[in-house]
Amino acid sequence: MTDDSGRSAAAVTTAVRAAQPGLREAGARGLSAFARAWAQAVIGTSYIPMPRHQLEEFLSGLTLRLVEVLRSEPFDVHLGQSVGSDLVTAHIASPEGLGRTIETIKLRLARDLDLTGPDLPARMARLLGAVAAGYSRALRDRTLDEQEQIRRAALVAREQAELALRESEARFRYQATHDPLTDLPNRTLFTERLSAALDGDDKHDRRIAVCFVDLDGFKVVNDTLGHQVGDQLLVAVAKRLRQAVGEHLVARLGGDEFVILIENTTGTDDALKVADAALAAISTPARVDGHSLSISASIGIVERPIEGTTATELMRAADITLHWAKSSGKGRWALFDPERNEQELMKYALSAAIPAALDRGEFYLDYQPLVSLRSGALIGVEALARWRHPELGLLYPDRFIGLAEETGLIVRLGSWVLAEACAQARRWLDVSPQAPFVSVNLAVRQVQDPGLVDEVTMLLRRTGLPPHQLQLEITESAIMSASDEPVHALRHLADLGVRVAIDDFGTGYSNLAYLRSLPVRELKVAGSFVSGLRDPSDATSRTDERILAALVSLAHSLDLTVTAEGVETAHQADRLRAIGCEAGQGWHLGRPGPPDQIDALLRSKVAP
Amino acid sequence: MQRPDWAPEGIDIERPSAARMYDYYLGGSHNFAADRAAAQAMIAAVPDAPLMAQANRAFLRRAVQFLVDAGIRQFLDIGSGIPTVGNVHEIAQRAAPESRVVYVDIDPIAVAHSRAILAGNDRATVVQADLRTPDRILEAPEVRALLDFTQPIAVLIVAVLHFIPDSDDPAGILATIRNALAPGSYLVLSQASYDGRSEEERRQAEEVYRRTDSPLYPRSRAELARFFDGFELVEPGLVWVPQWRPDSPDDAADAERAVFIGGVGRLRD
Repeated sequence: MTDDSGRSAAAVTTAVRAAQPGLREAGARGLSAFARAWAQAVIGTSYIPMPRHQLEEFLSGLTLRLVEVLRSEPFDVHLGQSVGSDLVTAHIASPEGLGRTIETIKLRLARDLDLTGPDLPARMARLLGAVAAGYSRALRDRTLDEQEQIRRAALVAREQAELALRESEARFRYQATHDPLTDLPNRTLFTERLSAALDGDDKHDRRIAVCFVDLDGFKVVNDTLGHQVGDQLLVAVAKRLRQAVGEHLVARLGGDEFVILIENTTGTDDALKVADAALAAISTPARVDGHSLSISASIGIVERPIEGTTATELMRAADITLHWAKSSGKGRWALFDPERNEQELMKYALSAAIPAALDRGEFYLDYQPLVSLRSGALIGVEALARWRHPELGLLYPDRFIGLAEETGLIVRLGSWVLAEACAQARRWLDVSPQAPFVSVNLAVRQVQDPGLVDEVTMLLRRTGLPPHQLQLEITESAIMSASDEPVHALRHLADLGVRVAIDDFGTGYSNLAYLRSLPVRELKVAGSFVSGLRDPSDATSRTDERILAALVSLAHSLDLTVTAEGVETAHQADRLRAIGCEAGQGWHLGRPGPPDQIDALLRSKVAP
Repeated sequence: MQRPDWAPEGIDIERPSAARMYDYYLGGSHNFAADRAAAQAMIAAVPDAPLMAQANRAFLRRAVQFLVDAGIRQFLDIGSGIPTVGNVHEIAQRAAPESRVVYVDIDPIAVAHSRAILAGNDRATVVQADLRTPDRILEAPEVRALLDFTQPIAVLIVAVLHFIPDSDDPAGILATIRNALAPGSYLVLSQASYDGRSEEERRQAEEVYRRTDSPLYPRSRAELARFFDGFELVEPGLVWVPQWRPDSPDDAADAERAVFIGGVGRLRD
């Protein structure tokens, strides 16, 4: 190869070579014509980052090199290749760019630059081969490099995207598990931690505690000072709680409710210490927005072995206990008591069963005589509700009336009692014209129920019971409400002829003012005074007797009659009679019993 | 856990990217199979596509040269794409080495590549951001660190606006940018136009770009002129890009084939 080129090199003469020392006009023209044609050929084959005149200059330089290669002795294949690779470097770098370059060189180089020589065709072929080889190698290397670069960039971008995703996920996870206001863990995180603690592998012998913390009277702060101050107070409380309880998890469950998780307790003491610290931390006055705010909290504590408990049970127990702490006066903790819980559950179950029990006829009434202390005659009976519970047996009012009052079921139960008692009282009229009136207790809610007058009126009409045969016993508290409605209702009923009695007089406020405005016929004096009537030598007994005497005297001066409750002995009956008390009620005078017990009494009097 | 909507997107090289397709049109190999397939489909529909890209790139080169000659030494190139060849910092820093250049692109691969290219150049940097949130671009620490907004800056938004639909309020975007600039600053805009193209070409081009990460929203010259609100267009105004201060009159022949309309405006004092 070199032999061949070596031999022919001398034969190639060029106008350019001749021109170089003196720059012959025609040679220079040929060079620039060629470069211009070359530039024209490659423009558009790829983006060339230079103006056309710069491109032409650049290609002129390459043209000189092409000529040099053609002339080289031995044939300089590397110089030929460098032309190809320099084209690529200048970004004349597409297959079309190479094709047009070869085409232009082959067609025009010899002609424009006036190259001649016997072995020109062979040298030209080698030149084109070298340019093409250099071009291809450079283009291949460049392509590979660029592919490498872009892949690396993709990898870097992917890594960054994944990093950003992880960061955003961490941020999202944080936001999803923390309360934005206080930055404390939220319910989600707390539940996770609690579940993890309960699901641990080494459950055996381990104990856990949960403290439910609820601020007392937080709503007042919000309502009076605004939510912003309320929020700041929550932030302050959260900060102190976190400091006070050390390593234990404090979470905000929402509103003014926080919870502390104490893992690995050794007994209730561990939980109590944390609760005490929390209460102390919260009760220190906080400076918020210029206000010095003192707030207390109530805490419900559950501490128990992990074995056999669930998160739901634990949370429920803590919630119940919190309510105990609240109801026993706030500003304190309460410790979960399974027995108390059991009782409350039972109470709850009992109250929930009342409606169905009414439907199934599990309730019935006993009647206790109200007896004239002067004549010993039966003048009235008090209706007393009984529940024959299918599982618990016979239940007395103390077991269910309070529940029914709490839940509002008392209205339904009371209506049933009222209807049943009226019907029975009417039946007794059929037995004897001396039939007793029936006295029915009305709960506060019943007295305040706007439908009371209609209900009683309708009952009297339906049963045919004369109004004076019905007595309604109300407590003082029923008429102590702010509203005048109950008073109007009772006056309306009294106008119909219904008897109105004040039950348990003397134990409540004993406010005499309402006696002025109320159409009351009778006072029922609480049994607690009567039970004091024992030995006349006993000082307490004398006091009770004087109180009773004063009450009776007061009642009489207001044209009211008095019935004493809880008369258990003949001595008591004697004393009451001596004081001037009209009627009595109690075991000495007649125990509660079924209606036929009254039937028997009536018949024995009618049939002499 | 649900993926939050502000989680960053993954990198999908199976999806054609407008930036890498553009690189392919320019003769580069900074592209993946999906980009080449999409670019080839585009070329089949619009055979001039590579010429259009090259003409646009040449417009950018001439505009930057013009700006350097006008004394501008700060450049903010938004939608810079893959730095293939003839990048702003190459042109500007060759002419005036003290020139400072910030590239901005939304494409994470383009940004990663730019970062690699610019490693060691303390007068050029790149920021990943979206033209549609210009405040974030203007407030980016890299931008603030390198560019002095009390001095004129040239903002280049070249071959990018046709990816921004009117619903993204391009005029508002440009107003935000304009308000951050000192008097004497420049705006360089170019974007694809359907002026003079056939309905068929238009349909096919839209079809190709619908499959990419950036659908196409060409605009007329009149629409583009609105974006220079507050700027004074330098000669020769808004023209087919080959007609904008061509190196030689020959280059401006068949200018409308370039599809891109472009211009340079100077912020009024």
